[in-house]
Amino acid sequence: MTLLEVRDLYKTYGHGAGAVPAVRGVDLELGGGETVGLVGESGCGKTTLGRVLVGLNTPTSGDVIFDGDNVAGRLQEAEFRRRVQMVFQHPQSSLNPKFKVSTTLREPGRLLTSKSSEEVEERIVETLRVVGLGQEYRSRRPKQLSGGQLQRVAIARALMSAPDMIVLDEPTSSLDQSIRSRIISLLKDIQEQRQVSYLFISHDLSTVRKIAHRVAVMYLGRIVEVAETRALFEDPQHPYTRALLSAVPSLDMDNQRKRIILTGETPSPTSLPIGCSFQDRCNLVHDRCRVETPQLGETQAARSVECFAVQ
Amino acid sequence: MSLLEVEGLTVGLVGSPYPILREVSFSVEPGEILALVGESGSGKTMAALATMGLLPLGIEMTDGEARLEGQSMVDPEGRVTRTAAQISMIFQHPVGALNPTMRVGHQVGRVIQINQELGRTEALEAAVEMLGHVGIPGPERVARNFPHQLSGGMCQRIMIAMAVACRPRILIADEPTTALDVTVQAQIFDLIKSLASEIGCGVIFITHDLGAVAEMADRVAVMYGGQVMEESPVRELLADPRHPYTRYLLESITHEVDHRVEDIGVDFALRGCRFGHRCLSAHGKCNQFPPLLEISPDRSVSCFLQLEEPI
Repeated sequence: MTLLEVRDLYKTYGHGAGAVPAVRGVDLELGGGETVGLVGESGCGKTTLGRVLVGLNTPTSGDVIFDGDNVAGRLQEAEFRRRVQMVFQHPQSSLNPKFKVSTTLREPGRLLTSKSSEEVEERIVETLRVVGLGQEYRSRRPKQLSGGQLQRVAIARALMSAPDMIVLDEPTSSLDQSIRSRIISLLKDIQEQRQVSYLFISHDLSTVRKIAHRVAVMYLGRIVEVAETRALFEDPQHPYTRALLSAVPSLDMDNQRKRIILTGETPSPTSLPIGCSFQDRCNLVHDRCRVETPQLGETQAARSVECFAVQ
Repeated sequence: MSLLEVEGLTVGLVGSPYPILREVSFSVEPGEILALVGESGSGKTMAALATMGLLPLGIEMTDGEARLEGQSMVDPEGRVTRTAAQISMIFQHPVGALNPTMRVGHQVGRVIQINQELGRTEALEAAVEMLGHVGIPGPERVARNFPHQLSGGMCQRIMIAMAVACRPRILIADEPTTALDVTVQAQIFDLIKSLASEIGCGVIFITHDLGAVAEMADRVAVMYGGQVMEESPVRELLADPRHPYTRYLLESITHEVDHRVEDIGVDFALRGCRFGHRCLSAHGKCNQFPPLLEISPDRSVSCFLQLEEPI
C-alpha cells in the first residue's frame, strides 16, 4: 500500500539568475510501515525534500500525494499535522529550552482532538516508556539531558500524535556511535509496534543500511538511483552511487573495496551543466550525457537508475 | 627511541582532584600513522593539545611528559619551547580555523615566511607552489581567494598546505574530515597519507570513526574518559579486541544493539577504571586505576582482566 507518492516535485529558492533549484523533478514512493533512506552529500536537496513532504516548505511545482490526497500547502490542517511528523537533526535546537519534557510532549497531544486531557497525560506516560525514558524525565528541561536522551524526547514528541509517517532528518548525525546504534534499534522497534513509515534522511550510509528497506540516492536535487537496501549496497549501479559507497571507510581491512575517488567537487546548483549533472565527475561519461538529461528508469525489478550508461 | 614519546600525561582543571586525562601514554615512529579513537569527551583532542603544550587556560598538566626525539616540549618553567614548532596541527572545522579577512595565499605564505625566514614575495610564491602540491586546481587564482569563497574541502586542503609547508616532524590531524562529505573525505585521506609518507613525518590521526581508522592508521589507541584503554596495531585490534570497551564499541558498529541497554556516553567513573561502572566484566579490583599493561611486544591494554588471563 502506498502511503506517500511524490510526483515530479520541484523546489526552487530565490528568483532570476540567483535562483537555486534545490529539488529538481523528484519521484518517490513510500509504503505504509516502510522505511526509505534518502542519502546524498550536503547541498543535494535531501533536507529540502523532507521539509516539502511535511509541509514546512511549499513546492514550486509537482504533487505530494499523501494517502490519496494532494497535501501541498496543507500544513494548516490539524489532521495532516497529526499524521505527518518530523524529527530534526539537532535536538538541542529543536526542543524549546524552557519547556519541561512533559510540556514538550503535551503540545502535539493537542492534535489528538478526540482525547481528553487525562488521556493525553496517559499517552505521555506511555510514549516516554516506549522511547526508553523513565517517568522522572517528565520534569526535566533540555539542558539537563544528554544528546541521546534529547533525541529520544524528540522522537517521543513525534510519536505523541500517533502519526502515520515521520520524516527523520539526520536524527543520529550529532550522536556518538554507541548511542547512534541504540536510536536506530529504538526506531525499528517503534516501527514494528506501530506500523509507522519513515523517511530517513542521512548522509551516513552505514546507518541507513541498518534501518532502511529501500534507499534513494540524491545528487544535486535529483534522485539518481532507488533500490532495495541490500541490492543497492551489494551492487550499486549509478556511477555516483558506486563512488559514494566506495568512499565509506570500512572496518574490513582485508576486503577493502577498490576506492573510486571522484575528481573535483559538486558543481554549484546555480550554474548547472547542460545534460547530466554528474557528467564532470563521472568515469562512464560519453557524448550523450552532455546534451541530454537522463531520466530515472527501471533497470531491474524494484530498481531505478538515472544514467544512460547503465540503462 | 621513538620520534614522539608521550608518557604518563595527566591533565586536570587547576585545583581539581579529578584528572581530565589520566596517565595517557603513546608513541609515534617516523612515517607511522597513529589513530586516537574514542567518543566525544573521551579526551582525544585534549591529549593532542597537551602533547603540543597548548592547554587551554585553567587546565594544567600535573604529571607526564611529551618528548620529540628525546627533547621535552616544555622547559622547566613550563613554557612551550621551539621543539613544539616541529609539530603541525590540522583542525576539525577548516573554515573556522582560517582567518576570514586574509587571502588564503597569504595565510599559507605567512607560515612559510616566519618559519623559513623568507621574504614576503618568495614566501607567497612558495605558498602557491604548496597549494598546487595539495591538489588545488589553479593555485595562482585560489591563492587570491578568501576562505568564504572556497568549499569546505578546499579550505581543508589549504589547512593541510599550511600544516605541511614547514615539513613538520609530527602532523596532528584532529577529525580532519568530520565537516566534509564522504567523497571529499576519501580525497583528504589520500592526501594526508601521501604527504606523510613523502615528508616522512609521524601522524596522530584523531577520529571517532573506526572505519576511518581501518583505512588510515597503522596503530591505534582507544580512549575513554581520558584514559587509554587499549593500544595496538589496527589489524590486531579489529580482529581481536581485548578491552571490554573496545569490544563494546566494535559491537555497536557491526551488530544490532538492544536500545534498552543503558547509553554509554561521556558519563564515566571518577575513581578506578573509567569504564568500571559500565563494564560487564567489572569486579572489585576495578575500583583501582588499571595501568596500561603490555600483553605482547606491540599491544597494551588497561584492564585487570588481562592479568588474570595470561595469554
